[in-house]
Amino acid sequence: MMDKHLFHYKGSKSVMALIGLLTLGQAVVIIFQALYLSKAITRMFQGAALSAVLPSFLIFLVAHILRHFLQWGKERVAYRFADRTALSLQQMLVQKVFDLGPRSIGKHGSGNLITLVLEGIPQFKTYLELFIPRFMAMGIIPFVLVLYIFTVDRLSGIILAIVLPILVVFLILLGYAAQKQMDAQMDTYKLLSRHFVDSLRGLVTLKYLGRSKSHQKAIEVVSDKYRIATNRTLRVAFLSTFALDFFTSISIAIIAVELGVRLIGGHIGLEVALAILILAPEYFSPIRELGNDYHATMDGKEAGQQIRGLLVEKTVDQKSLPSAPTWTENSRLIFRGIGKKSEEEWDILQTINFTVAGYQKIGIVGTSGAGKSTLIDLLSGFTQPSTGMISIDGVDFNHLSVPNWQDQLTYIPQHPTIFSGTIAENIRFYEPNATREEVERAANMAGLNELIQSFPNGYDEKIGQAGRILSGGEEQRIALARSLLQNRSILLFDEPTAHLDIETEHEIKETMLPMLENKLVFFATHRLHWMKNMDLIFVVEDGQIVEMGTHEQLLRKSGAYGKLMQAHRKGVRG
Amino acid sequence: MTLFQTYIAPYLKKYKKAMLATILLGVLAVLSGAMLTFVSGYLISRASEMPETILLLYIPIVLVRTFGLSRAVSHYLERIAGHNAVLKILSEMRVKLYGMLEPQALLIRQRFQTGDLLGTLADDIEHLQDVYIRTIFPTAVGLCLFVYAITMLALFDWLFAIWMAFCLSIIVFVYPLFSLYTLKKHQRDAKKKRGQLYRTLTDAVFGISDWMISGRKDHFITGFMKDSRTSHRMENKLAYWNQSRGFQLQIISGVILVMVGIWAGNAAQHGEIIPAYIAAFTLVTLPILEGLIPLSHAIERIPAYGESLQRIKTIQQFVQDKGESKGNVQAFKKADISIDNISYRYEGEQADALHKLSLSIPYGQKLALLGKSGAGKSTLIQLLQGAIQPTSGGIFINDHSPIEYGDQIYDLVGVLNQKPYLFATTVENNIRLGNQQATIEEIENVMKQVKLDYYMDSLPNGLQTQMEETGQRFSGGERQRIALARILLKDTPIVILDEPTIGLDPVVESELIETILTSLQDKTVIWITHHLIGIEQMEQILFLDQGRIAMQGTHEQLMNTNQRYQQLYRLDRGLVDE
Repeated sequence: MMDKHLFHYKGSKSVMALIGLLTLGQAVVIIFQALYLSKAITRMFQGAALSAVLPSFLIFLVAHILRHFLQWGKERVAYRFADRTALSLQQMLVQKVFDLGPRSIGKHGSGNLITLVLEGIPQFKTYLELFIPRFMAMGIIPFVLVLYIFTVDRLSGIILAIVLPILVVFLILLGYAAQKQMDAQMDTYKLLSRHFVDSLRGLVTLKYLGRSKSHQKAIEVVSDKYRIATNRTLRVAFLSTFALDFFTSISIAIIAVELGVRLIGGHIGLEVALAILILAPEYFSPIRELGNDYHATMDGKEAGQQIRGLLVEKTVDQKSLPSAPTWTENSRLIFRGIGKKSEEEWDILQTINFTVAGYQKIGIVGTSGAGKSTLIDLLSGFTQPSTGMISIDGVDFNHLSVPNWQDQLTYIPQHPTIFSGTIAENIRFYEPNATREEVERAANMAGLNELIQSFPNGYDEKIGQAGRILSGGEEQRIALARSLLQNRSILLFDEPTAHLDIETEHEIKETMLPMLENKLVFFATHRLHWMKNMDLIFVVEDGQIVEMGTHEQLLRKSGAYGKLMQAHRKGVRG
Repeated sequence: MTLFQTYIAPYLKKYKKAMLATILLGVLAVLSGAMLTFVSGYLISRASEMPETILLLYIPIVLVRTFGLSRAVSHYLERIAGHNAVLKILSEMRVKLYGMLEPQALLIRQRFQTGDLLGTLADDIEHLQDVYIRTIFPTAVGLCLFVYAITMLALFDWLFAIWMAFCLSIIVFVYPLFSLYTLKKHQRDAKKKRGQLYRTLTDAVFGISDWMISGRKDHFITGFMKDSRTSHRMENKLAYWNQSRGFQLQIISGVILVMVGIWAGNAAQHGEIIPAYIAAFTLVTLPILEGLIPLSHAIERIPAYGESLQRIKTIQQFVQDKGESKGNVQAFKKADISIDNISYRYEGEQADALHKLSLSIPYGQKLALLGKSGAGKSTLIQLLQGAIQPTSGGIFINDHSPIEYGDQIYDLVGVLNQKPYLFATTVENNIRLGNQQATIEEIENVMKQVKLDYYMDSLPNGLQTQMEETGQRFSGGERQRIALARILLKDTPIVILDEPTIGLDPVVESELIETILTSLQDKTVIWITHHLIGIEQMEQILFLDQGRIAMQGTHEQLMNTNQRYQQLYRLDRGLVDE
C-alpha cells in the first residue's frame, strides 16, 4: 500500500516527519478533547452548577480548536509539498517530452502525453496531498488512542484492538473481489462505455448509410446495458464502504452496551465510559478517511508511475555534444553504414552509405514503408541511428540530434504545424525578431500575398486551433515562408504535396523550385515529377538504397526507378 | 438558472421517486449515525444510575445495535439507488443529445470547427452525473438533516431551537452561498488559465519538430512553466481557502457543541429534560454537524457544471432553427441527376460557393470532380444529399429535389469519404450497417468484390474480428475496402467517392481505385479526386474553380483541346519538361 517512491522526492522525508509530529500532537489533543467533554457532561449529569463545568467546556473547546488547527497545518504542509513536487515533476516531464522528439511522441501518443502533463500532474498532486496525511493518521492516531483506552479500560481496548485488523483484512479481501469483478468485465465495459462517443463520432457515416435514425434505439439499449453492468460493479465496489460503516457502527454499539453493562455493575465510572464512547469513532475515523479517498488517490498514484516511467527513458543530452560545422557550398555529409532498428528489433533501414556535397538536391523515392521517412528523420535528428557513423566536414557524429545542425534545417512535412496565433507570428516562428518588412517579403515569395490580402485583419489574422482553418496548400506556403525568412541552408521535405490537389501542387511547385537553389535539399516523395528537378535520386527499397543517380541515368538503367516510373505513368489499366 | 430548468429539472421531476428514495436513504444514514451516538450517550448515562435490572435498558441496547446496522445498510443502499437513478438519467441524456445532433449531422463539422467537439460533448454528459451525486444529493440530505434536527430540538425547547437554527444557518447557508459567490470568478479564471495551458501545450507537442529545429525549445519550456506556475498559484488560492474554511467551520462546530451542552445541562437542572439526555444531546451534535459541513463543498461546485450545460445548449440552439423535412418520395434503384443553373451562398459570405452551375449526370455515368479546396466540390455534394438547399436554381434526382426524399435520399446516394468511420465492433457488424437484413452469403459476396475475402479468411476470427477503436487494427487501404463493402451492401444507385485514396501510396491507391471502379460498374459514380490517377476511365471530367466550371469533358477531349489539362496531366505522370 505504501509507495516507496514517496521517499525519493525532494524534502519528502522532512515533510513526513513534520506531518507525523503534527499527527501525534493531534492524537494527544483528541484524547484531551474527549476527556474534558466527558468530564463536563458527567458534572452536569451529577447536577453541578454551570460555573463549575465551564472550565471543562473551555478546555474542550481549546483542545477542539487546537486539533483542527493541527489538521489545517497538516493539510497546508502536505499541500505545499505536493504542489512543489508536482511542479518540479511537470518541468522535468515537459523537458523530457521535448527531448524525446516527434517520433517517440508519436509512439506514446501525443494526446496521452498532453493529458499526462496537464491532468496526470494534478492527479499526482492530489495523491501526494491526500495520501501522506491520511497514511500518517492511519499509522499514528488509532495506535495512540487504543493505547490510552487500554490504560483506562482494558476490555474496551481489547475490543477495539481486535476489530481494526479484522476490518483491514476485510477491506483487502473486498478490494480484491471488486478488482476481480472489474477485470472480468473490463472488455464489455470498455466497449459499452465507448459506444456513445463512437456513435457520435461516426454520426456522419451512420447518416450516409441511412441508419442514423434507427441508431437512436441502439444508444438507448446499450446505455441501459452499460448501466446494468456498472450497477453490478458498484454493488461490489461499495461493499468496502459498507464494511467500514458496518464495523465502525457495530463496534461502537458493542462498546456502548459493554460499557453500559459494567456501569450497572459499578465496575467503571461514567466519566471514563463517556470518554471511551467519544474516542471510539475517532479511533475508526482515520481508516474511514483513507478508505473513502483511496480510489480518488489511485489515479494519481498511477499517473506518478507513468511519469517516472517516461522520465527514465533514454534521450540524447544535447548539451554535451560537439557542435556541427556550418553548411556551405563546399561542405560534405557522409553516411557510413547507417542502420535503424525498430523497437521490435527489425531493420527499418540497413547499411545506408552515401556522400552528398554542397548545395545538391537529393530526391528520395520508393514505396510506402520502404524507409523514406526514416531517412529524413535521421537527417533531421528526430531519431537516432542504431548503427553507423555520420560525418560532416570531417567531424564524426553518432546521430544528428545536434543543435547546431538542427539550427540550419527547415523541415516541411505533409502537414506542417500551424500554431495558434496570427499569420505574422507563424511566419516569424524561427525568427521571432524579424521586422514586418522581412515577414512580408517572405510571405510574398511563398505566394501568400493574395490570401493575406483577402483576410480582414491581414497579417494579424488569427490562424491555427483558435482561428481560421487553412487549406493544405496554404499550410505549405506558411511553412515555406517560415524557412524563407531565416534563409536556412538545408531543406528537408517529407511528402509535402501528396495530399494536395493537382492544381495546387502545380502552383506550389512553381513557388518552390526557385527556393531550392543554393540549398542542400532532401526531398522524399512518391510524386515522381519532382525528380526531374533533383541532382541526385536515392531509390529506397526494403530499407536500403538500391539505386542512386540522376533522373536520366536511372531511367536508362531501367531498374527499380524505371519500374516505379512505369507504374506511375501507366495509371490504372491505362 | 435556465440551464438548470432545461437540463436538470425535468429529470428530477421524471425520476422523482428514485430521487426521493435516494435522499431519504441518505437522511436515514446520517440520522442512524446520529441516533447511534444519541442512544449510546443515553444508554451509558442511564446505566450509570445503576437501575435495578438490565431489562430497563433493553430498548436502548436493541436501538443501539439497530442504528449501528441501519447506518451501514442505508448508506450502502443510498449510494446504489443514487447511482442507478443517475445512470438512467445519463442514458436519457445521451439519447436526447444524439437526437439533437442526428438531423444536422452533415453540417456540424462545418459549423463548429473545434477539434473533437463530439468527443467533448460525450464527456460533458458523463460529467453531469456529478450534478446529482456531488451536489444535489448531498445538498438535499444536508437540508433535510437541518430541518429534522431543528424540529426535534423544538419539541424540547423551541426558543433554543430558533437560536440553533440561526447558528446552524451559518454552516448550512452562509458559508456555502458565500463560497459560491466569491469563488465563482476565481474558479472561472483558474479554468481559463488551464484551458490556455492546454492549447499552448497541444500546439507545442504537435509542432514539436518545428520547436526542435528552431533551437528555441528552452524558451518554450521556460514560458510554459511560468504559465503553469501562475495556474498553480490560482489553484493554490482555492485550495488554501478550502482548508481555511474547513478550519473555520470546525471552530464554529466546537462552539455550537458547547452551547448545546450548556443548554442540555441547564434544561436538566430545570427538569425540562431528564439528566440522561445531557450526554445524548451533547454527543449527537457532532455527527449532525459532520453531516452539514460538506454542504459548502457541494454548492461550490455549481459553476463547474455550467460550461458543460452551456455547450449542450449551444448545440441545441444551432439545431433548433432548422426544420426537418419529411420524405414523401419513393427512392428507386435507378437515378438520373440533373442540375439546372444552381447557385449557393453560405450565410455571411461575400461570394457564391457555387455559381450558376448546370450539369447532367445520366444513370451509370462515371464523373470525376476536381478543384482546389474551396472550389465548391463539398457544396455540390451537400446539395446532392439535400443537406442544404440551393439559393437559386434546381437540383433533381429522378425529377425530385433531394430534399423531397427526406432520409430516403440515403437509399439513393451512398458516400465513401476520406476517413470512413469504422465502429468499434466486429467487421461483420460494420459491413452489416449497409443492410441489416443481408444474408451471410451477401456479405461474403461483397467481401469478394472488394477483394478482402482471402485476407478475412486468414484472420483467426474472420468476419468476427474486432475493428478496435476507429478501425486501428487495419491499414488505410483495408479500412477503405471494408467501408466500400458496406456501401456495396447498401446498393445505392449513386455512389459519391470523396477522395477515398488520399494518404495512400500510389501502388495501394491504384489497386484500390481499380477495385472501386470494377465493383461500382453499373452505378453512377461521382468521384472527387485530387490528382489524375485513374482519370482515363471516367466518362466525364469536371474541374471546378471558385464555384464555376473551369474545365469539362472526357479525358480525350480535354487532352486534345485543353492546354491546361495537358500540362496537369503531364505533371501528374512525371512527364514535365522544364
